Amino acid sequence: MERQTINKNKRVFSAEPTKLSPSEVFTRKYTSHLVPALKKLNMDKNSPQINQLTVKHEVDMALALSAQEFAWSRFLLEKLSSSNNPTTTISSSSNGTRIPERSCKEDEDGEIEEKLRELQKLLPGGEEMNVEEMLIEIGNYIKCLELQTSALKSIVQDTT
Amino acid sequence: MDLTGLKWLQQQQMVSPEFLQIVGSDGREELRRVESYLGNNIYDTIDGCISRTSSFQMEPEKNNEENRTVALLNKRKPEGKTETRDQKKKKIKAEDETESSMKGKSNMSNTETSSETQKQDYIHVRARRGEATDRHSLAERARREKISKKMKCLQDIVPGCNKVTGKAGMLDEIINYVQSLQQQVEFLSMKLSFLNPELEFHINELSMMPDLRSFPLHQQGSLDYSVISSNQTTSPGAKIESSSSWDIHSQCVYNNLRTDSVSNFFSLK
Repeated sequence: MERQTINKNKRVFSAEPTKLSPSEVFTRKYTSHLVPALKKLNMDKNSPQINQLTVKHEVDMALALSAQEFAWSRFLLEKLSSSNNPTTTISSSSNGTRIPERSCKEDEDGEIEEKLRELQKLLPGGEEMNVEEMLIEIGNYIKCLELQTSALKSIVQDTT
Repeated sequence: MDLTGLKWLQQQQMVSPEFLQIVGSDGREELRRVESYLGNNIYDTIDGCISRTSSFQMEPEKNNEENRTVALLNKRKPEGKTETRDQKKKKIKAEDETESSMKGKSNMSNTETSSETQKQDYIHVRARRGEATDRHSLAERARREKISKKMKCLQDIVPGCNKVTGKAGMLDEIINYVQSLQQQVEFLSMKLSFLNPELEFHINELSMMPDLRSFPLHQQGSLDYSVISSNQTTSPGAKIESSSSWDIHSQCVYNNLRTDSVSNFFSLK
């Protein structure tokens, strides 16, 4: 430990290429998208107050750009680029049309179907996927959201 | 057709001699007909034993080896009595067969003989005792099994899912978690929008933000910050000590960022 603190200011080099885990790759991409975007926002709009929605827009855009290997990011990008006023990704719990349950299912299964549909609404583009795909995509969407929140937290903390 | 398989069938005395006659012929059409016959009538009582044989007979080419394995397997397993509802072995071969067509005819095969049936395009599902074996419900069941398998993967990702059992509870947890994450993002971006006017980021000097879940306090080295470019995935100037992982390294960078005065990196307007 002590030796490490002594070496704190030394440059350390390694011959091996750095291997990044997917979460690190994502975090890296995310910050590299978000930070310049924020800077640009900052510089472009000097007089008016920076709109909260535009920041959210940039935040979501950075998320979509950093996770392009996933299907949901494509839907998110479309949603963001199509609307000037960005729609928030948070959906209220009682939105949308309810698809009638199948008559041959038990009540429990119907409940599950309903919940799956709700989950679909949360995921960008979830409604266009079938349920099995959606479940896979939800997994990596959650992971990316977690990384996004931690990246945002660190950016916010660094600036306060 | 391999005779030993048929003899086994006879021993089980669960099949009528007519069946043997039908099976004696080589036509696959007949086989399919037989299977549907079996499926509708005998299957419930035999509950899986025929399924083993029916799957075996779907590939008459490979005979000797599989016959032995089937026989061995059948010896290991007691006959239909213990195959109660508890025995829910449903290994759906979705992984092997990506283009699986849900043909109900083939859905009676044994999961144990999966090695034999790998060439098939079908999803193999074993019907539970007393459940319907028609195509639609089998397909439904296969679909539901897929979904529950994926939900188990989700259980690992979403914290707090382990305590809840049942699909509905888990789905509730997942929904709540996703919603809370999205709300967090919104809240943080709101905060950022308030802070943003006061800041100017130095892109070159801002290194990657690490994964903040764990903060090991030890630092294994420092980097020349100006060399780090956030746009490159492998920045040439930034080399990492071979023994440390990137996580630790980046946290070290993060810690350095915090310990240095903020004004070094962020000039205030």
